[in-house]
Amino acid sequence: MRDHLGEFEQIVLLAVLRLGDDAYGVPIRREIESKTSRALTVGALYRTLDRLEDKGYVSSWFSDPTPERGGRSKRYFRLKASGVRALADTRDALEAMWRGVDLKKVKHA
Amino acid sequence: MLRWLLARLRPESAGDLLEESAQHSRWWLLRQILSAFAPSANPFAFLWNDVRYGVRALALNPGFTATAVAALSLGIGVNTGIFSLLNGLALRSIPVPGSDRVVSVYQIFHGKMDRNVDGNESMFSVSEYEQYRDQNHVMTGVAAYAPMALVTLGGEIPRQVVAQFTSCNYFDILEERPAGPGFRPADCAAAGSGPVAIISDDLWKSQFGADPGIVGKSVLLNRHPFTIAGIAPPGFHGAEAYFASFWIPITMQHTIKPKFDAYGNANTSWLVLIGRLRDGVSIEQARADLAVISARIDQTVPGRKTSLSVDTATFASMPEMRRIVTGAGAVVLAAVGMVLLIACANVANLLLARAAGRQREIAIRLSVGATRWRLIRQLLTESLLLALIGGALGTALAYASFRSILRVLPAQLPAEFPDFALNVAPDLRVLLFSLSITVATGIAFGLLPALAASRADVKLSSGANGFLRQALVGLQIAVCTVLLISAGLLLRGLWAAQNIDPGFEMKNVASVSFDISSQGYDAARSAVFQNRLSERIAAIPGVDATARVDNAPLDDSHHGEPISLPGNPAEYRAEINYISPEFFPMLNIALVRGRNFTQAETDTDANVAIVNEATAQRLWPGEDPIGKIVIEDGKTPYQIVGVARSAQVSHLGRANETYVYFPSGPKRAVRTHWLVHGASAVSLTAIRAAVREIDPALAATVAPLDHNLEWWRTPSRLVALLAGSLGALALALASIGVYGVVSFAVSRCVREIGIRMALGADREAVRHMILARAMRPVGIGAACGILLCAAVSKILSSLLFGVSPRDPLTFSVIPLFLVGVALLAGFIPARRATSIDPASALRHD
Repeated sequence: MRDHLGEFEQIVLLAVLRLGDDAYGVPIRREIESKTSRALTVGALYRTLDRLEDKGYVSSWFSDPTPERGGRSKRYFRLKASGVRALADTRDALEAMWRGVDLKKVKHA
Repeated sequence: MLRWLLARLRPESAGDLLEESAQHSRWWLLRQILSAFAPSANPFAFLWNDVRYGVRALALNPGFTATAVAALSLGIGVNTGIFSLLNGLALRSIPVPGSDRVVSVYQIFHGKMDRNVDGNESMFSVSEYEQYRDQNHVMTGVAAYAPMALVTLGGEIPRQVVAQFTSCNYFDILEERPAGPGFRPADCAAAGSGPVAIISDDLWKSQFGADPGIVGKSVLLNRHPFTIAGIAPPGFHGAEAYFASFWIPITMQHTIKPKFDAYGNANTSWLVLIGRLRDGVSIEQARADLAVISARIDQTVPGRKTSLSVDTATFASMPEMRRIVTGAGAVVLAAVGMVLLIACANVANLLLARAAGRQREIAIRLSVGATRWRLIRQLLTESLLLALIGGALGTALAYASFRSILRVLPAQLPAEFPDFALNVAPDLRVLLFSLSITVATGIAFGLLPALAASRADVKLSSGANGFLRQALVGLQIAVCTVLLISAGLLLRGLWAAQNIDPGFEMKNVASVSFDISSQGYDAARSAVFQNRLSERIAAIPGVDATARVDNAPLDDSHHGEPISLPGNPAEYRAEINYISPEFFPMLNIALVRGRNFTQAETDTDANVAIVNEATAQRLWPGEDPIGKIVIEDGKTPYQIVGVARSAQVSHLGRANETYVYFPSGPKRAVRTHWLVHGASAVSLTAIRAAVREIDPALAATVAPLDHNLEWWRTPSRLVALLAGSLGALALALASIGVYGVVSFAVSRCVREIGIRMALGADREAVRHMILARAMRPVGIGAACGILLCAAVSKILSSLLFGVSPRDPLTFSVIPLFLVGVALLAGFIPARRATSIDPASALRHD
């Protein structure tokens, strides 16, 4: 069964993709906040990332601890093949729905 | 706190937050941490839902909400108000820049030590001050001041003003700059070296017409010329709550007060020390450093043992003062706490009644799966909401009414009381107090009803909750009884004080007092002055007698002195007065044995004495006191020649004090005051004129003798006022409580009433039954209240002026009155219940 991603899941996956090798908590959050202009809490971000990892769309690993992080590790994320596929499927579905729609000509009530 | 929370996060979240924390505020960090803990996206969603639901539930029942909020806001408001008064009096640091670094130092003497005291024992002598000032390592400087001295300001009409002797760095330590050069170090170099004064802004405006060239001019203080060296900043009152008009270097003490050389005496307590802590020095370090100095001083004086009291300076730092404020504060806070307790019990009862009405809702919520905890949380949120609304309103109420309270208060004080300023504006401490009693209140009145209501299995109208409600009524009545009896006792005491017969005549007697010793009079000049004054006053039309006294009856100079008996080392504390023979006939105090002093005895300061009856019975029980000897001052023997009737000469309401009279002769001329008796009221202006004629620069206080009663009535009037208003408040709250509970009980048993009446029960009998049920907790509560009050009412005895703290009249009338009010509160719903038609009562749900 094809699994369609929610909007926020897409945004998070896209952010991880865009950041490539630098995809850990801080840059992901900043990327999303700057591109979508919405405030995002650490709690909300990790809850989504945990869910995406459970679904098998991303994998994560820990770096060595660094002093500026109070001796804590960074947790890096990367898309797995299924994650890339899910993104592609979602985009296809959305594009299919968008085809032929011209918002400028829409008459609304 | 944040660090503790961070350590409990997952490492990657905590790491991310630490990495970013530098660019954000602590609030941001806290929100982020909470977001990482919360089970859902919005951490406050659950609470928010509870609050929204609570607000709606309260809005649905405006009658209940208004009653509860009114009760709570009164309870919390009264507590916040009293606490801010105490805060302004004793907790707030003194109003100078950087006052949290200003500490006051007092010494506490342990064991017996021979020490002169001019003020309070816990103060310091000059030599002690200098050692603390020079040997400490923790202060940027230490200043000393003598809190209160009355000096005569010369002028067309000389008058007494409040002055403070201060060290020359006083204003520097307080970081207040007077306009003008201020004190120079040379002013404090040696005794008499600084005839300069800084005047208050107030005096500058009132006395000197805000003369811009006042600095450098000269004024007369106790007839000595002082150069004005500066004007204190407007509103400045230094480290004391009352306003002084003059600040004078401590070196001028003996010049101003020639009677007693405190400045030159190393064993006299008369100075308060205040210092400013150096940066980075904690108060503990300061205590440790100063303790070394006190230990060093102790070693130099055999038998001396002291400890220090070092604290951030407040208006009530002095140990003697703090004891009084703490004691009185505890009693007053207990009283207002009781009002809050009544309010809580009231609201708890309302909530219980409401919970019964919400039984259906609660049952539905439980059956669709709400946990009991979830329900309790919801109900507690509602009570906290109520408490917060009540608290906010009460706090606002307290501040709104403060202005008027502070206006009423000075009017209640005697005119001689110096002006004082208390800052009662809300500060963080008051707001925290208010918030914590609000939250505590919310939980106190909400928890029991919430626990009771959320039990699914219990019928709310019966059993445990019925008992709980009755217990709450009993509690309210008990507390209310205590408050009302106290108020009743105090009002009786006030009545007694207003109408008391002190046992001697005060009518048509004027007292004339002056401080000639500080005006440069020696014994010989004093005697001349007194003789001339005696002649002048006797010549005033209407004056028929004059008497000399050291202490006018009921004035504030009765402090007790030690006396002893020959061959007996024990010391007795006695009030001592020096009088002329006219004293007893003028005040209509009969001599029950022996005789009065003769004119010859007063003229020669003869070693004879008259005691009152209480003293005779105490010192020589069953013997004839005439001819016996008392020893004053440890050395001078006096022979008793007469016994006077006991009267309340030293303390209002206390006739049985030990009291010894000695003849007032030339030796006492420096200290003597006058009592003047006239056929009708004596013209006070004529007496003032007589004094002025002999010495135009002398400030004399001339007042009717019965003005001295005001000093005694003031505290009882203030406390009675407070207790009366609290009692009225408590009574209102408690009667609302009784009314509410009886109405509710009646509404719960409408069917029972219907059945009884349908079966032919008499209306009267039913009404009687309802009332009897309602009155049971009232009766038990009142009984408990009486017992409790009888146990604690002794603390009021000093304000009762002869009324017993277990006055049977108050203890019987007040509970009867309270029960009467409760009966009335119960009667209204009971009557309503019995006037319903039995048929419709039977159909009642």
